[in-house]
Amino acid sequence: MQPTHTRLEATGAEDAERLLEVRKLKTHFFADEGVVRAVDGVNLSLKRGQTLCVVGESGCGKSVTARSILRIVPNPGAIVGGEILFQQRNGDTIDLAEMNPRGREIRRIRGGEISMIFQEPMSSLSPVHTIGSQIMEAILLHLPVTRQEARKRAAYMLDLVGIPRASEQLDAYSFELSGGMRQRAMIAIALACEPQLLIADEPTTALDVTTQANILDLIRDLQQDSGMSVLFITHDLGVVAEIADEVVVMYLGRDVESGDVDSIFHDAKHPYTRALLQSIPRYDSRDNRRLYSIKGAVPHPFDRPNGCPFHPRCDDFIAEQCNRIDPPRQVISGKHSVRCLLYSTAEEAPNNKDMLP
Amino acid sequence: MNRNSEIQPADSSAEPLLEVRNLQMQFPIRRGAFRRTVGFVKAVHDVSFQIRPGETLSLVGESGCGKTTTGRCIVRVYEPTSGQILYQAEGQERIDLAGLDNRDLRPFRREIRMIFQDPFSSLNPRLSILQIVGESLKVNQVASGSELEDQVASLLRRVGLRPEYIRRYPHAFSGGERQRIGIARALALKPRLIVADEAVSALDVSVQAQILNLMQDLQEELNLTYLFIAHDLSVVEHISHRVAVMYVGKIVELAATEDLFRNPLHPYTEALLSAVPKPDPRLRNKGARIRLEGEVADPSNPPSGCYFQPRCPYAEDRCRHEEPVVREIAKDRWVACHFAEELDLQGFEAIGSTTKR
Repeated sequence: MQPTHTRLEATGAEDAERLLEVRKLKTHFFADEGVVRAVDGVNLSLKRGQTLCVVGESGCGKSVTARSILRIVPNPGAIVGGEILFQQRNGDTIDLAEMNPRGREIRRIRGGEISMIFQEPMSSLSPVHTIGSQIMEAILLHLPVTRQEARKRAAYMLDLVGIPRASEQLDAYSFELSGGMRQRAMIAIALACEPQLLIADEPTTALDVTTQANILDLIRDLQQDSGMSVLFITHDLGVVAEIADEVVVMYLGRDVESGDVDSIFHDAKHPYTRALLQSIPRYDSRDNRRLYSIKGAVPHPFDRPNGCPFHPRCDDFIAEQCNRIDPPRQVISGKHSVRCLLYSTAEEAPNNKDMLP
Repeated sequence: MNRNSEIQPADSSAEPLLEVRNLQMQFPIRRGAFRRTVGFVKAVHDVSFQIRPGETLSLVGESGCGKTTTGRCIVRVYEPTSGQILYQAEGQERIDLAGLDNRDLRPFRREIRMIFQDPFSSLNPRLSILQIVGESLKVNQVASGSELEDQVASLLRRVGLRPEYIRRYPHAFSGGERQRIGIARALALKPRLIVADEAVSALDVSVQAQILNLMQDLQEELNLTYLFIAHDLSVVEHISHRVAVMYVGKIVELAATEDLFRNPLHPYTEALLSAVPKPDPRLRNKGARIRLEGEVADPSNPPSGCYFQPRCPYAEDRCRHEEPVVREIAKDRWVACHFAEELDLQGFEAIGSTTKR
């Protein structure tokens, strides 16, 4: 029942290229009212130097997935199953899901091998420390350098992310910078120790479009120079189309569809992916005044539907099937896979090419 | 093909429903123990435009450009520093809302209503839906008792909510449903003009599409006029008949939607359009993206000449000395740029809309 696993394990050559592999990750929150299955069996795989976008609406578990990788899931959440295999710089592969979230080992990885940037730079940066001291903190923690060298490197990092007058800005506080500059400062902190993996959780959502464009360019340039991988979490399909190599679409804690960016946008299979694509207003849809909209809303986390989580909102709902059977992951072709009963055998898949409106 | 000819509800010769003339809004900057005024933030600086009955006029621009302040002046949350807001009441003379005091404003507060951005903070959590939506009906003595309930129920039905929810409290609703409640509240007194301030910005794409469709339906049914304030250009392109682009408190360009997106005349409009991520990976790297250098000008200390001049790739000497005025260079095409006739700027299409289908 796990065609993907066997396929991936069979190819040894690809293995060396793979930096991160998340298998059947389950992160649940144990609240007083019940258990919220925020992440419920997510698979994703990221190669070196590539950008993987995790896309979905609020409450789909994309941020919890990212936090699970770094083991910073807040209470009362906990990883209850699955593996997070990460290839360290020394070549060893470790399972982050098994680590003690407060242990020495994971703290070495956080900031050193895997860094994260967040949506709201103002609330992620300390208002009482200068930008410089926050970058230096990360450097001194992970690299064997003196304070002078760390300060030099901090100035270099600020310059790298395009902050003007970098050596002066080392002594600035976060509130003295504009939104775009704060986000750049946060990227500088994240990249100070040259991580192998950058996790970016909606880093441009709070920014204006022109600033967003600059930050996306910056991340892409830095990635090209350093060869790091990026796990990019967003709800904005426009951003996904700009930067992703591969895409995972999430809905209610599940990876409903994953594949390379072109198949997701031009050959989407899952009804949810197709509906998402159709509901974005776009320039060439102007003849058609009404937007396609998905009926209903994302269900409350406590009453998660049985069977396929999307079935109450799905236009292709098959009665007595979709509400009972939890659809397995089906490989469509190559990396493209989908969880939907419409495709329970790949040959029968209806021809849904060019589903874009 | 030409959407604007199809849905243009009001010919440009019709009497405007609302005309804003030379609107100025300054906020004092106070410092020191005696709260002395040391300067002014010119949030809105000499803004003029008309809204025609039955149309949707959008105000777009980046954060801090004054679009929200303009909207708030029109609903008279703020008292403008100077300028006129001429409102055409039914069967009456035009009235300048800017000069009225609270008592005289009363009848117009029923006709000009507002929808807010954040559906979580704009509804009082201690009031039931009946109280929230019915409040204005009660205050204005339109209805009471069971009649009030009937009216609220029919308003809820109109915005696509079940009338049985009338006794529930806002926490029981999702973001999209709350936004519907906000719309029902705005509709209660049969308004003519609705100022929608980022009404869909906080919503997920699938829900955003539902609300946009609802707003368009209501506009047709009730002959509403919208002032739509937004920063998301694809949404604006979808819903508006005409668009005004603001930069640092001024309107830099105002035109019919199609003209503005296809053939922008102001360099800032061009830069904004080029920064919007296109939801199609095949368009990546097609068309040059204009990277705007530097930051949005400080409205308390704007640059000399044209406010956009320090970031404008086409700026010339004249731009640094002479402030461009907004002028009508073709019918219904307003622009504030010295070189509007000479520049050949890229629209949305040149950058590439989807070519396939």
